[in-house]
Amino acid sequence: MMQMPPKIFFYLGIVAACAALIPPVLAVQSRNTTSEKPPLHPFLDMDVQPKFKPQTESVLFADGRSARPQPAGTVARDEAMEDTHRNFGVVDGQWVTTMPRDLPVSMDLLRRGQARFNIYCTACHGYAGEGNGTVNRRALELVTNASGPVNGTVWVQAKNIHDPTVTVQPVGQLFNTVTHGIRNMAGYGTQIPTDDRWAIVAYVKALQRSFDAQLQDVPPDQRSKVQ
Amino acid sequence: MSRFLFPRWSNAVLPLVAVGGAIAPLYIVFLIAYAWSPKTIEVGYKPAQPVPYSHALHVGQLGLDCRYCHTTVDRAAHASVPATQTCMNCHTQVQKDSPRLKPVRESYESGRSVLWTRVHDLPDYSYFDHSAHVNRGVSCVECHGRIDQMEVVQKAAPMSMGWCLECHRNPTDNLRPLDRITQLSWDQRTEMTAEEREALKKLYHINPSENCSTCHR
Ligand code: HEC
Ligand code: HEC
Ligand code: HEC
Ligand code: HEC
Ligand code: HEC
Ligand code: HEC
Repeated sequence: MMQMPPKIFFYLGIVAACAALIPPVLAVQSRNTTSEKPPLHPFLDMDVQPKFKPQTESVLFADGRSARPQPAGTVARDEAMEDTHRNFGVVDGQWVTTMPRDLPVSMDLLRRGQARFNIYCTACHGYAGEGNGTVNRRALELVTNASGPVNGTVWVQAKNIHDPTVTVQPVGQLFNTVTHGIRNMAGYGTQIPTDDRWAIVAYVKALQRSFDAQLQDVPPDQRSKVQ
Repeated sequence: MSRFLFPRWSNAVLPLVAVGGAIAPLYIVFLIAYAWSPKTIEVGYKPAQPVPYSHALHVGQLGLDCRYCHTTVDRAAHASVPATQTCMNCHTQVQKDSPRLKPVRESYESGRSVLWTRVHDLPDYSYFDHSAHVNRGVSCVECHGRIDQMEVVQKAAPMSMGWCLECHRNPTDNLRPLDRITQLSWDQRTEMTAEEREALKKLYHINPSENCSTCHR
């Protein structure tokens, strides 16, 4: 008969085996759950360098922004807006009726305009521009809520861009609406670069035209298909 | 001094010690490899934000496009987190007195930024570029997961170097047509055949770099 070790060693062995299970269980738990605490980061290497990346904090300035807002009354070098046609849609105090010279209407420009319109405008105006976008619909629901507007919501119906008051507008005026907004609509000048705003305007014009198409607009060899 | 003698019962324990000695290093190696992996440490980071802004509501339900807010994502390396003005395009009117939007209104009035907590933050020695990916057929969903279903943004991928290279070595399955980049519910793995994805890779001339200097400068 082989001699067996004292009982205490058995118990210690069982405790040790159980203790060895704890770290893997914690690891599995941490892999499969989310955490509000920042990830563990024992070795910093050069992960955090004394430099600014976009949209980071700086202790040097009172408002804490590393990207400095432009001081009032200054213009950056590439932001000179001498070309009022291109930048404001105005020449000699009149809305322009043509596209800027370096942005002639082309299929590519219209496609670009369509993509941008679908990103920035459809939420309120809808894909066809009729003013029935998802946000417009939801906002009207919030306003007409049975127990009063939710959290003070107010809403002005997004304009149908096929409304006669809009279709008569020259491109310069549309460009101004997109850039600076109008009445209850905010301006998109800071969100959308100038070229893309012109592309959107071109697309809006095309969209308006498509709602007002005549048989003469269809190429003769295709006319039988739509008749 | 008397010599130490192993007690007689150690013969019974010897096989156990041998087995334990063989398992212990394996245990430690596997434990560290698993627990210290970025998949364990990094994935699932979900910080609390100052405003209960929900992508599930704004993107999933209202159908806003990512680029409405993250305007620079297809133009620059950095995908900007939107300025307060962007929220106020709608929230000057919609839910304008909501207590949950209080920090946004305060920011609008004072001109100070809303202090969003960063979710993704690569080490400062590595350089990522959004425009190089989203203009080349790689959708947000490959790296950020189903943001359109998240109430609170969480980190969906390890974003380690191994993870970057995994795709750079074999990008084909991650490519989709450019007009579907922000359509997170669309999946090229089921909607397109392998041949179509291969054709897309040829069409866009995709050839991701594995040079160290691509990501380290
Ligand atoms: C947040 C919702 C919203 C978005 C997004 C939006 N609009 Fe509007 N838009 C409105 C509302 C509301 C009005 C009506 C304003 C009023 O009458 O007070 C309007 C009016 C207009 C008008 C008519 C102006 C006039 O002279 O009557 C045009 C044109 C227009 N929008 C174009 C656009 C374009 C182009 C975009 C995309 C860049 C866009 N909108 C994005 C809400 C929006
Ligand atoms: C209405 C504006 C809005 C839209 C639309 C939007 N986001 Fe965001 N996004 C935010 C805001 C605000 C934050 C910062 C707060 C947060 O992390 O929740 C953010 C944060 C993020 C982050 C985390 C950034 C970090 O801190 O690392 C990712 C990733 C992201 N968004 C991806 C997307 C994707 C993908 C889409 C499109 C499916 C999208 N967003 C659409 C406003 C928006
Ligand atoms: C294009 C319009 C639009 C933009 C831009 C927008 N929101 Fe909203 N948001 C809405 C609508 C519409 C609702 C109401 C949805 C509902 O109640 O079903 C809403 C609801 C909310 C709510 C919930 C309010 C409550 O009390 O229930 C929060 C919080 C919120 N938004 C935060 C933000 C933040 C932060 C931003 C900027 C990053 C932003 N939103 C940008 C349209 C927008
Ligand atoms: C190839 C992977 C990849 C794709 C595709 C991708 N992202 Fe990112 N995203 C990242 C990484 C990596 C970071 C962290 C960048 C850093 O810390 O410098 C990040 C960070 C962000 C941030 C935080 C701000 C920043 O730039 O650090 C936002 C917002 C964001 N992504 C939104 C988006 C949106 C919206 C899309 C789709 C249009 C998108 N991302 C597509 C990998 C990706
Ligand atoms: C889902 C696939 C995927 C992931 C994940 C991914 N990439 Fe890429 N990356 C690409 C593709 C595709 C390209 C475009 C290659 C081309 O233009 O031929 C690219 C290009 C790049 C470029 C630009 C190279 C150039 O020639 O200008 C950089 C920088 C880059 N990736 C860095 C990263 C980093 C850093 C990560 C990890 C945080 C990462 N990528 C993760 C697919 C991916
Ligand atoms: C596709 C982009 C990419 C390429 C190519 C790349 N790296 Fe990296 N590398 C990264 C990223 C992203 C990280 C940061 C990972 C993290 O968050 O820990 C990193 C981290 C590192 C680290 C630090 C690891 C640590 O944890 O401390 C070293 C060292 C490194 N890379 C070396 C290299 C070398 C050498 C090469 C060339 C053979 C290379 N890298 C190529 C993206 C890349």
